[in-house]
Amino acid sequence: MEENNGNVVVDQAKSRWSDLWTKEDYLAIWLGFLVVALCLFAYLVLGPKAEFAQKIEEAKQIQATEEAKAPFKTIAWYNAEDASTFKASKSSGFGKFLSHWTKKPGSWKSSPMDSFIQTEEQAKAKNEKAMPAYEEAKAKAAAALEAATVAESAAAAAAFKNQTLNDTAKDTIAAWRSAKNKASKAKAKTTNKPYNYIITLVGLCIFLIIFFGFGMRMMGASVGGFAVGFIVVFLFSVLAYMLGGQATAKQYGVGAEAWAIVLGMILANTVGTPRWVLPACQVEFFIKTGLVLLGAEVLFSKIMAIGIPGIFVAWVVTPVVLVSTYIFGQKVIKMPSKTLNITISADMSVCGTSAAIATAAACRAKKEELTLSIGLSLVFTSIMMIVMPAIIKGVGMPEILGGAWMGGTIDSTGAVAAAGAFLGDKALHVAATIKMIQNVMIGVTAFCVALYWCTVVECVGENRRTVGAIEIWNRFPKFVLGFLAVSILFSYIDSQLGHKMSHALLDQGAIRGGTRLLRGWFFTLSFAAIGLSTNFRELSKYFKGGKPLILYACGQSLNLVLTLTMAYIMFYLVFPEITANI
Amino acid sequence: MESINQASLPNRIIRMIVILSGVLLFVYGLLPVVTSQVPILAQMHSYLDQNGIDPSRYYYTDVEQVAEGEHYLEIALDR
Repeated sequence: MEENNGNVVVDQAKSRWSDLWTKEDYLAIWLGFLVVALCLFAYLVLGPKAEFAQKIEEAKQIQATEEAKAPFKTIAWYNAEDASTFKASKSSGFGKFLSHWTKKPGSWKSSPMDSFIQTEEQAKAKNEKAMPAYEEAKAKAAAALEAATVAESAAAAAAFKNQTLNDTAKDTIAAWRSAKNKASKAKAKTTNKPYNYIITLVGLCIFLIIFFGFGMRMMGASVGGFAVGFIVVFLFSVLAYMLGGQATAKQYGVGAEAWAIVLGMILANTVGTPRWVLPACQVEFFIKTGLVLLGAEVLFSKIMAIGIPGIFVAWVVTPVVLVSTYIFGQKVIKMPSKTLNITISADMSVCGTSAAIATAAACRAKKEELTLSIGLSLVFTSIMMIVMPAIIKGVGMPEILGGAWMGGTIDSTGAVAAAGAFLGDKALHVAATIKMIQNVMIGVTAFCVALYWCTVVECVGENRRTVGAIEIWNRFPKFVLGFLAVSILFSYIDSQLGHKMSHALLDQGAIRGGTRLLRGWFFTLSFAAIGLSTNFRELSKYFKGGKPLILYACGQSLNLVLTLTMAYIMFYLVFPEITANI
Repeated sequence: MESINQASLPNRIIRMIVILSGVLLFVYGLLPVVTSQVPILAQMHSYLDQNGIDPSRYYYTDVEQVAEGEHYLEIALDR
């Protein structure tokens, strides 16, 4: 029932009711929904909502009193803010349970075994080593608090009518906040505990075999065959996490995902992947289920995090660059594969790996195309995250402009944070927030690409014709609907809970303490499966003539110019008051 | 993968060991040396380590600094 149309394989089978429980797209949705429902129930129904609500209300009253008293945010205001910022994942049994059983091999510096096991002595030694830095940071925070208290008292003595005293108080309070934040981070390094992840990894592997095995059973595959092969895929994912946890490798953006592909490809293209492993290389099934879970992290309220300038930098420039790069690839470079063209364009313009995964799945790109896009992104990201802060510092560009520029152009969020931090705190805050707004765009991108593909791209060539609604429905990748449904559901709950409660129960609960933990594993499993089933020669065909590299470089150049121009116009010409407040 | 499969198993295993060793040597041997020798890279390494920033994480929910930045801007811009 499949029709090969040029380089695009179109599934023209008619929809049947049985698709709901036998097709991969739907099963990815149901499995994703199951995890989502469980997380929402655990945090929203069983979570400490009443306790949080009471404390948030108390803090609100204190903040309202302080706001009425002083024209700036006082020490008491900030203390109330801190007292009403909760993380449900840290205080609920479900959060602790899930976090424990989904643990990934951790970071290490000299011995890879440190990522699996940390003894009591090792933890104690780490804590003792970090203690002097914490003591120093704590003393600085205490001194900063004292200075802030004195400055605030002086401003209060003048009934908050003296602008100079008010400004001094505001600045010293900001310095105290910064010192307190540093002390808090230093303290975290003194609380290392012993761990042994080997048992939890075995438990997780069994759970995932049951979880995905159920889907495989529904699709009519052998669960036994899947389970045996899955152990190897899981093992490669674990090794990838271990190798990606090394401190220096991480600095260059070489994380677990890259290692999963590399390790898999090395085995597949030398010794060869054993045949019995291949039934478990369910790349699309893992990716689609992961993407449904990723929908929970696509919250539309995040778009307004930095106001209108953020929308223009992240939501106006990005689609312009995406579409321009795609057209450039088709008309000028003449990319042979449209799916590779759109995957690289989305990867480069939206947000790197996550956008590449979503777009590739939406347009049914080949796994080699996804691998190539991610590889290009990793190389450019590791260069840009080092070069951009150096250039920005070298030319004396303002921190906020530099932050916005990097946030809109560097692909991966972690690399954006690294580059931003290198420039300064404000650059970090702006860069990371711009990137977050851009991250939210992957939902819209995946939907538009899926729609464009099944209404336009798959109709060109010999079979050029108008397609009806039913055929669009038949062709449409259904998991995208699951992804959007979860995104809309979480965005709706987010808007109903109120900001503080949503932060506590949704952001720091159902998402960071729930769906995200499994989503990370699902994507790494899919990358390991990609590597294990990728032929290097097939991959090199897509790179012929260096067209993907030219496309990425040209698209990124346009992105750099447009983002910088838009950031300057928005942050310095149209909304300078927002920049001044940051 | 025809040509790969045509080679004998010992040859394929040797090839795998050589490639894997090369990759590991590059990442865990060469990169740390380059990082320690180039001042800007060494500075960046130390800064990232101190602040717990992981550049290999790709989505905003995986990066703690995003939540901090969002919270900072929320207060600074009164949102």
